[in-house]
Amino acid sequence: MHTCSSQKRKTTRNERERFRFVLLSAVFFLTASGPAQIYLPPPPPEQASDYGKVIIGKASSAAGPGPVVFDHWLHRAKFTCRLCHVDIGFAMQANATGITATSNHQGFHCGACHDGKRLIEGKTVFASCSDDTTSKDCSRCHSLGKKDVRKYTYQAFTAKLPKGLYGVDWMTAEGKGKIKPIDFLEGISIKRASMQTRPDFSIKAAVPWVHPIVFSHERHAIWNGCELCHPEIFPTAPKETVQDSMFLNTEGHYCGACHGKVAYPLNNCVRCHPLGPIWVR
Amino acid sequence: MFKPIIVVVLLTPGLVAVGGVLAVSQPRSSSSQPTATREAWQKEFDDICSRTQDAMTFSKEELTSLISRCDALKPEIEKLDETRKKVYLERLRMCRGLYAYVLESKTKDDKK
Repeated sequence: MHTCSSQKRKTTRNERERFRFVLLSAVFFLTASGPAQIYLPPPPPEQASDYGKVIIGKASSAAGPGPVVFDHWLHRAKFTCRLCHVDIGFAMQANATGITATSNHQGFHCGACHDGKRLIEGKTVFASCSDDTTSKDCSRCHSLGKKDVRKYTYQAFTAKLPKGLYGVDWMTAEGKGKIKPIDFLEGISIKRASMQTRPDFSIKAAVPWVHPIVFSHERHAIWNGCELCHPEIFPTAPKETVQDSMFLNTEGHYCGACHGKVAYPLNNCVRCHPLGPIWVR
Repeated sequence: MFKPIIVVVLLTPGLVAVGGVLAVSQPRSSSSQPTATREAWQKEFDDICSRTQDAMTFSKEELTSLISRCDALKPEIEKLDETRKKVYLERLRMCRGLYAYVLESKTKDDKK
């Protein structure tokens, strides 16, 4: 009887120790493989045309013309990111700019181009927020939930452009001269000298199993200039902060401010880490 | 005989003068109008913020001077109407931010 109870106690202790070992192993494993477990880029959009879509004025009243659907694919085929986000002053977050019909009327924000006078590629750009509220043009922008009101469709508009993950491969399109994004708007932009090209550089990856990032200043500067990225997106900070940022990227920080929203997505690993993981090469 | 010559001689300077006055008083072409009517604050803004592409090549003194000019310009922009204030304050913020960023980077590099 005594022997039996002491054996039972021994077994219980062994089980407890085994459980503790398994628990510690699990904790250790999860901690060690944490980055791989947590890093999950957002799922692809249902339609390629939805990638980079921004809804502006969601909270606008029902009596008004309704929210605006802004398609990045339509605008970035014609203009650099810098032109709109620096010279015109569109914020990088939806609804943070404070666009109003008045500001458009005064030739700012959308009205910087959409003034009914400006010629882009030989075509007059229709006026935004005109006095005629019955105009069909209102629905070209204020189109959320409306059918067949847009002039351009994604399929037709991007038919001749090279495609990548989640839609158009804009870097290739620009590199091959399929698009020539405008970077200067008369009356809005300031004339400036072209940027001095800086050499590409590599950034050490945060994890040891991936080759470094090859960052092209030149490719980024064509689209963004300097002040779109510095200091807001990439502030001066210890290098480790930027290196250890794959999680932050997925949350929209650093590279994730554009990549995963409008530029090629974060799960296109080899575009940034061209040599891929270390076991490949 | 001499009458037509006298008339021509008298009329020519008059016509030239009238033509000159008309030429001066006529509105400028639309392309040159924005430059002519550009306000002082805007000229200063253009001058400061047209150099962002070259920010990396500036010395710390030049960058400090540009930042000071940005700070001096801000109150002028704050006097503008709501829309222009909103747009140009944001543009000035980005422009100043870049110069401050480069200055900070250069200062950090010097400390290394």
